[in-house]
Amino acid sequence: MNHPFLQVLETIYPAERLLTRDVELLPYESDGLTAFQSKPGAVVLPVDEEEIIATVRLCHQHEMPFLARGSGTSLSGGSLPIPDGLVIALNRLNRIKRIDPQQRIAVVEPGVINLHITEAAQPYNLYYAPDPSSQSICTIGGNIAFNSGGAHCLKYGMTSNHVLGMKVVLADGTVTQFGSESIEGVGIGPDLIGLFVGSEGLFGIALEITLRLMPQPELYRTVLAAYDDLGAAGDAVSLVVASGLLPGAIEIMDRLAIKAAEASVKAGYPDAEALLIVELEGEAPQVEAEFAQLQGIIEASGAFEMRVARSEEERARIWKGRKGAFSAVGRLSPDFIVQDGVVPRGRLGEALMAIDKLKTKYRLDVANVFHAGDGNLHPLILYDGREAGALERAEALAGEILALCVSLGGSITGEHGIGMEKRDYMPTMFSEEEIDIMQALRRAIDPMEIANRGKMFPGGDAPALKQHGLHPLERQGVISRE
Amino acid sequence: MTPTAITTSAELSDFLRQNERVHVLGNGSKTALHRTANGAALADLSTLCGVLEYEPSEYTITIGAGTPVSHVSAALAEKGQYLPFDPLLADRATIGGTVAANLSGSRRFRYGGIRDFILGARVVDGLGRAFRVGGKVVKNAAGFDLSKFLVGSLGRYAIMTELTFKVFPDAPRFRSLRLDYPTLPDLLAAISFIKQSVFELDALDFTPAAGGWSLMARLAGSSATLPPRVERFTQTMQRESAPTDISEQEDTATLWDPLHRLTGDAIVKVVLPPRQIPEFDTKVADLRRRYSIGGNLAWLATDDVTGLDTSLRRLGLRGLCLLGAVESALIGAPLENELAARVKSVLDPQGKLV
Repeated sequence: MNHPFLQVLETIYPAERLLTRDVELLPYESDGLTAFQSKPGAVVLPVDEEEIIATVRLCHQHEMPFLARGSGTSLSGGSLPIPDGLVIALNRLNRIKRIDPQQRIAVVEPGVINLHITEAAQPYNLYYAPDPSSQSICTIGGNIAFNSGGAHCLKYGMTSNHVLGMKVVLADGTVTQFGSESIEGVGIGPDLIGLFVGSEGLFGIALEITLRLMPQPELYRTVLAAYDDLGAAGDAVSLVVASGLLPGAIEIMDRLAIKAAEASVKAGYPDAEALLIVELEGEAPQVEAEFAQLQGIIEASGAFEMRVARSEEERARIWKGRKGAFSAVGRLSPDFIVQDGVVPRGRLGEALMAIDKLKTKYRLDVANVFHAGDGNLHPLILYDGREAGALERAEALAGEILALCVSLGGSITGEHGIGMEKRDYMPTMFSEEEIDIMQALRRAIDPMEIANRGKMFPGGDAPALKQHGLHPLERQGVISRE
Repeated sequence: MTPTAITTSAELSDFLRQNERVHVLGNGSKTALHRTANGAALADLSTLCGVLEYEPSEYTITIGAGTPVSHVSAALAEKGQYLPFDPLLADRATIGGTVAANLSGSRRFRYGGIRDFILGARVVDGLGRAFRVGGKVVKNAAGFDLSKFLVGSLGRYAIMTELTFKVFPDAPRFRSLRLDYPTLPDLLAAISFIKQSVFELDALDFTPAAGGWSLMARLAGSSATLPPRVERFTQTMQRESAPTDISEQEDTATLWDPLHRLTGDAIVKVVLPPRQIPEFDTKVADLRRRYSIGGNLAWLATDDVTGLDTSLRRLGLRGLCLLGAVESALIGAPLENELAARVKSVLDPQGKLV
């Protein structure tokens, strides 16, 4: 029997780092979007960049679709394996190569966990700013692929804004570097970092990343305000923004999300229709003065209760409920879908009212948690997968929310990316020509469309889904249907 | 060649289809960047001028690419907002040219550069196709982010006709301080200290000065909180060098224009990792220079571009000439990149955009 692909993989990887048995593959079958599952043909666990490069070149040579995967926390199905393709799991490339406090940078491998960078930078009073809710498990490689955000994006931006330099292997095996250790990043010539970050793994794999670190703010002031009306909380956001303040975070949770957070982490939140969290950060004299102003605004906005975090513990407790809200919803419902569409901030109220109507139409509950400061919604659509047709109803509802975001002048995704889940909604936001140009770009970098095949672009054209007869790994003898 | 005034995106598409080689002009403020034009048809985009959408409460603004930077800044200032990347040559450049050349001023230190504030654009590529990249809201992760790619792309991949930026509320008050140091290492030690401190400075530049080096720090804030912050900064720093408040002595507009005192045949931007400054500075010791954004960028004036090119190559650094009659605006380490070449093959396969 001829097993060229597997045989060459075996020359790179010892048996314990080349997984092909069903039981070994199981943990890789789905990601943070659990509604989808798909079985890879094999998983490899490289330990250094040479192994990654060799593997990508091999995939290119054999036309083998591959997915580079970190912790698999994607909420858009972006790290769902390509059926019968190869998964390149990067978790073992988890070295923080260098923290340079003088230059305020960190040089890391793609499998490093987001929060570990902040932990390593802490002794120098520095931190890594992007803080997706999954920051204690998600990896920088995945953050780069999806340009991850978090609650603190308004002031300091998303992942892309914190990457200064990269070494990458493109999907055809070409290795290239761009950017620098200057905070200007690329600085001269097209900003290749801006292009690569957020490309959802379709261009290739980041091998080494230089990140910008930020000085830890001297003081945080976090306020939690309770409202008996969701619209009033939304109006308070507009008042805060209009005041000229620039908070580090502005978050809203609705009744159902509050209930979930209470059931799960017992954050001690007030019983309310809506909670608003606003956080100021910076130099102490500035923050103290701004906080007095902020309290005045919130008092005037009709909040019936206001709590101020007096200590780091109290601040952590406020955030714990918010950051745990997604997983907390699991306590209210066996299954849920989370969307992350964006609307202009001024149209948040309109969007929430429309979502409320959709709930009735589809007979489903929706919990709302959102980054109100940047208009980034996170409706959590609750359903029971065991009930016939429930998933389909939930998906239809999700689709209507995305269309709504676009019609209000926003985006179908603020930070989770298109992935598998929102492929079919790309045409609501981009014209056919715009999608064609993006696809041409992808093919110019990955002519065989092997890197994370089947993601981002509308379904019909995904080669993986058109596969007939033997699948690639089967053809190569890696797997068989016995 | 006489520039052709472009008044719509459709006209630009036609212009690109009709001509073999096309070079874009805004106000022509960066003279060194137009040398490649030689023989190409010139598209004058200064006519694509005006604020198209501005929603202060959304922190977003959409503007024609040919709009003068001063015009944009004035519109924002009316609502107490600003472009945090602090466009350079603010008195004469257009916003499109500023993005294409990626030129930020000293205040970029606080929140970030153009790439951090561009949200989207309308463009026309080398094939004359008009399309949108990015979005119009402050947060968007859909599709490839070509709007960031175009920052610094020098009009060689696609021509921007309309731009959307994120903007921020500006501070009402500023103070500028000068700190003098006998040597560069002394000054760099002070910068290291500041960078790991709690001080959030609006700008941090330095230059050689008579008898040593001068560090310039700018603080921004409200009238109530600025004095105590300036006081604390002064107290903290004075052990090594007593800061002098120069807000009153000098015209702050020229003080914070990094090019103000630079004169020479060519003015050059160099992207500089801070750790390379000591070595770099020995190579440019006889040039007029200013280090900006906390020592992550150098502005140089030189009469010997060839010599500077050689020095930069040896150091593995890149430079961009903005002003002057130079042969090539790009000097130092080569810019060629395989990923950029792939993008060029899609957006401008015939190599029309020069």
